[in-house]
Amino acid sequence: MLKVENVRKAFSEVTVLDGVDLTIAPGEVVSILGSSGSGKSTLIRCINGLERLNAGRITVDDFDVSKPKELAEARKRSGTVFQLFNLYPHMSVLQNITLAPIEVLKTPRPEAEAIARKLLESVGLADRADAYPAQLSGGQRQRVGICRALAMQPRYLLLDEVTSALDPEMTAEVLAILAKLAAQGTTMLFVTHEIEFAREISDRIVFLDKGRLVVDLPTDRFFAADGGRAQPRVAQFLSRMRKD
Amino acid sequence: MRFSDFTSYDLILLAQGLGTNIALFLVTSLIGLLIGLGWALVRFYRVPVLAQIVTFLSELLKNSPVLVQLFLVFFGLPALLHIRVTPVTAATITLSANTAAFVYVIAVSAIESIEREQVEAARVFGITRWQVLRHIVTPQAAAFAVGPLVALLVNQLQVTSLISVIGVVDLTKIGHILNMRTLKPFVVWTVVGLLYYGAAKLVALLGERFENRLRAHSAWRGL
Repeated sequence: MLKVENVRKAFSEVTVLDGVDLTIAPGEVVSILGSSGSGKSTLIRCINGLERLNAGRITVDDFDVSKPKELAEARKRSGTVFQLFNLYPHMSVLQNITLAPIEVLKTPRPEAEAIARKLLESVGLADRADAYPAQLSGGQRQRVGICRALAMQPRYLLLDEVTSALDPEMTAEVLAILAKLAAQGTTMLFVTHEIEFAREISDRIVFLDKGRLVVDLPTDRFFAADGGRAQPRVAQFLSRMRKD
Repeated sequence: MRFSDFTSYDLILLAQGLGTNIALFLVTSLIGLLIGLGWALVRFYRVPVLAQIVTFLSELLKNSPVLVQLFLVFFGLPALLHIRVTPVTAATITLSANTAAFVYVIAVSAIESIEREQVEAARVFGITRWQVLRHIVTPQAAAFAVGPLVALLVNQLQVTSLISVIGVVDLTKIGHILNMRTLKPFVVWTVVGLLYYGAAKLVALLGERFENRLRAHSAWRGL
């Protein structure tokens, strides 16, 4: 269970998260929607311990991310994929994927490499294991980013606007992989602007507005006129994002 | 003493002098590198008090002439502490400290050139601060720093000529002696200059090869 309880986060004077509650059970796919600046990315950064909370509590399988001793355990259980990939430029694709398993999980190198090659194969990059990030396209880089997170065999996959830096064609290739992961039962917390895609793969959709979690509904209820759309901010957001 | 011509034997004398410079250069560069990197680590781990001391020390060293520092160590220290300081000791201390100050500055800016996201992308997977330093920060910082470091070393090689002033018999000192003996300043100082040039060029070439290896994959940096 991934639990976010009454979390408040402010940067100096600006409150970015204002009492957020969210629970994600194993196997669930939850999408977070909201306008820019609504606190979506900050929420992800709080869950993986990159930001310190001002109040509230976040636990990943009962490990409290605010406690330094438990953060390491919490981090082993969640894998993050970043908007701008953040691959290590001085390492090959294979080294990018195997670094954390070898250093953190103490997986023997041959085993870590075997896992990495299998992951690369599953995202269609089997032949790029020895390439360097600079030699890959954006879509390929993000697929490597996903492999890097999956190599840690995380219980929760945190995806922070992973297609925002990609063109439509590359977005499609990354989304195809995420759909496959969702179908396999991977637990995902998915921050996105791809509403249609979120609708396809999510069990639940939550909506953040100015740091408050205003809607948390099963996907079909979220899009229903008497469900999520009953909220004026959600209706406004959906009509703006959808071109139809 | 009679004046005498410049002979091929004098080339051996000059080469010996150059040997002194190179030996001093190698020793002080090594010590300076180790100390400078140590200081950078103190800064990286934000060690309280020590970090401020290190920054202050480096400021002091890089903002005052090496010659003044050399005089301070060679003449000043013995007067203050009533100890004997040989010219070679004074030269070693001064040049090591001076190199350390500049290595520190280069190392710190190299570490700061690494994007915060690089560190975060490793930390979120539970990679420790030490492992980040080893696998993420150091290789990228080294690729960034190697150019400025080679330039620094080439410069420090020339700076070793200052030790002739306190009586170390190095290339410049021997040039001076030969000049007095032969009264052929143009020939003597040309040969001395060319010898320094050759040595510096060698350092630069070795540095370039090393740089090419380190930067093999960071040349694009399209991330």
